[in-house]
Amino acid sequence: MRKFTLNKDKKDLNPSEAQIKRQKDFSRLHHDYEKLTKRGKKPLFRDPKMFLFLLVIAIILLLVFLGEI
Amino acid sequence: MAAKRNITQHTESEVIALSKKDQSYFGALYNKYFDQIFRFVFKRLGGDEDLAGDITQQTFIKAMMNIEKYEDRGLPFSSWLYRIAQNEVSMHFRKLKKNFAVPIDENRVIDVAVEASLSTEYMTSDQQEQLVEMLNNLEGDHLDLIELRFFQEMSFKQIAEIYKISEANAKMRTYRILERINKMWKNDK
Repeated sequence: MRKFTLNKDKKDLNPSEAQIKRQKDFSRLHHDYEKLTKRGKKPLFRDPKMFLFLLVIAIILLLVFLGEI
Repeated sequence: MAAKRNITQHTESEVIALSKKDQSYFGALYNKYFDQIFRFVFKRLGGDEDLAGDITQQTFIKAMMNIEKYEDRGLPFSSWLYRIAQNEVSMHFRKLKKNFAVPIDENRVIDVAVEASLSTEYMTSDQQEQLVEMLNNLEGDHLDLIELRFFQEMSFKQIAEIYKISEANAKMRTYRILERINKMWKNDK
């Protein structure tokens, strides 16, 4: 939680141009965005729920196939 | 990645439309609005540069991810960004287990006192401390409104755009909170 306090130290509450320049970086943003959206997906075999689901489907299909023989 | 070439020839609506198809166009919006959003977040965090940088980046990532859902309803694009930044900062405060101290200037506290008709004269530092304590006891959304109006020094029009309400409504909500502060102050005396 935030708690307001009086600025007794007379700290500058507005950023300087140098601070803005230091933090402004579109390539970092683009990189973080790519990491989040493109590379962040878990492979299917590493997702236990999806793995189980696929396994059940495979067993059902196998049983159907064996039943038809 | 730099904004695409000739982007300056496009209007803002066109850049937004292009960003929906190709995220690299978003760079132009980032370059245009980064400074003001960073200033806003920096102030809300009481001058923590690195944290403000991270939260501003997070704001723009969210904006980039949701740009497809953005609809131009006649409000400035910046109000959408401010709304995301406002949510990101609030989320950060909620996650914290201990209090996060945000310093505010004496003059801003006096502005609240004058608007709430508490004092038209000089306020002692004890009285200022007392008022700050009172503000800290307000509900989160009430305090947000006071913060936007007095500490961020936003106009009612800007506040209205962030909350997607009318200007009159923003004014009414703020003055109701100030009335409440006035009552609390009198009861405390």
